[in-house]
Amino acid sequence: MQETYLEGLPLFKDLTSEERAELEALFEPVSFETGEAIFEEGGPEEHLYVLTSGTVEVYKEVFPDRWYRLAIVEAPAVVGEIGLVSEPPAVATVTAKEPVEARCLPDKIFLEKLDAGSEAAYKVAYEIGRTLAERMAHTNECIAKVVAQFEESEPKRDFDVFRDKLMQEWSF
Amino acid sequence: MEGKETRDVGFFKFLSEEERAEFARVVEHTIFEPGEILIEEGGEPAGLLVLMSGQVEVNKRVPGRSDRLLAVLEPANGRAIVGERGLLSDSEASATVRAKGTVEAVKVPRERFRAMIRGGHPVAYKLAYHIARILAERVARLDEEVVEIAREIERRGETDLDAFRDKLLTEWTI
Repeated sequence: MQETYLEGLPLFKDLTSEERAELEALFEPVSFETGEAIFEEGGPEEHLYVLTSGTVEVYKEVFPDRWYRLAIVEAPAVVGEIGLVSEPPAVATVTAKEPVEARCLPDKIFLEKLDAGSEAAYKVAYEIGRTLAERMAHTNECIAKVVAQFEESEPKRDFDVFRDKLMQEWSF
Repeated sequence: MEGKETRDVGFFKFLSEEERAEFARVVEHTIFEPGEILIEEGGEPAGLLVLMSGQVEVNKRVPGRSDRLLAVLEPANGRAIVGERGLLSDSEASATVRAKGTVEAVKVPRERFRAMIRGGHPVAYKLAYHIARILAERVARLDEEVVEIAREIERRGETDLDAFRDKLLTEWTI
């Protein structure tokens, strides 16, 4: 039976049905128990996961032993896509909130497809770039708002250096 | 612009010689006079600009105040591209980039780039992938800066800054 779990996911929206089938053939089924980590902050992020059922939670250890929940992601969805275009370790922990069924694609295999000139892989990389660009735009605006509020409050001087660093990281 | 010049642009090193020659047909070699605007805040993204010589100033409008200078960029200090986000994103430019002196740049116009993507040109996809890697690195650094600020605020224990910290963490997108 032909699988179609990539259909309808924004990351794969520009792929033809043949291109989707080409990528789907590379994924392996995988499942996670409740509480099991899919990625661990600071650990490797070497796979792309397409969640086909279940829900995951995204956490970041902002303060020692204190995790902030950044998001809840419900299937159908993709996690780990940024790992396809970056070297650094995972920036957050992703754990299964309930039993999760997923399909898994090793980054290495995706990059081999990209090197071989696969149009399907190119289209996915382009879409990741667009996602990152939009996210950067959103983050820029959020930071601008926060910095504007910050500057109206006192005390502020000690934070100038951090604020300036933030500004320098902007992408325009 | 001649292919030879495109081959000399360091930013395009990740492309093969043939691919750079292909790009040479779509890029524009542009000179900006002092004070001229390369990218305007709130405007349509123009495309990717690779700075070849000269300096640019990046300014952000701050309501009720004079513009804030965010950065001065020049090829010599390692930051040689502007507008990379606008090449991929549909969002308006978030800052104004203005020539400080005479600036020489190579421009990849957004519409031509998008046409190449629609036409399935591998060279355009390679550029998109390269920019995605740059953006991923920058997003990761930015995230760490945001976390560092939150930690610093926590260390100070300023209760009146709690709202600020919480807002940062709420607004932060993963």
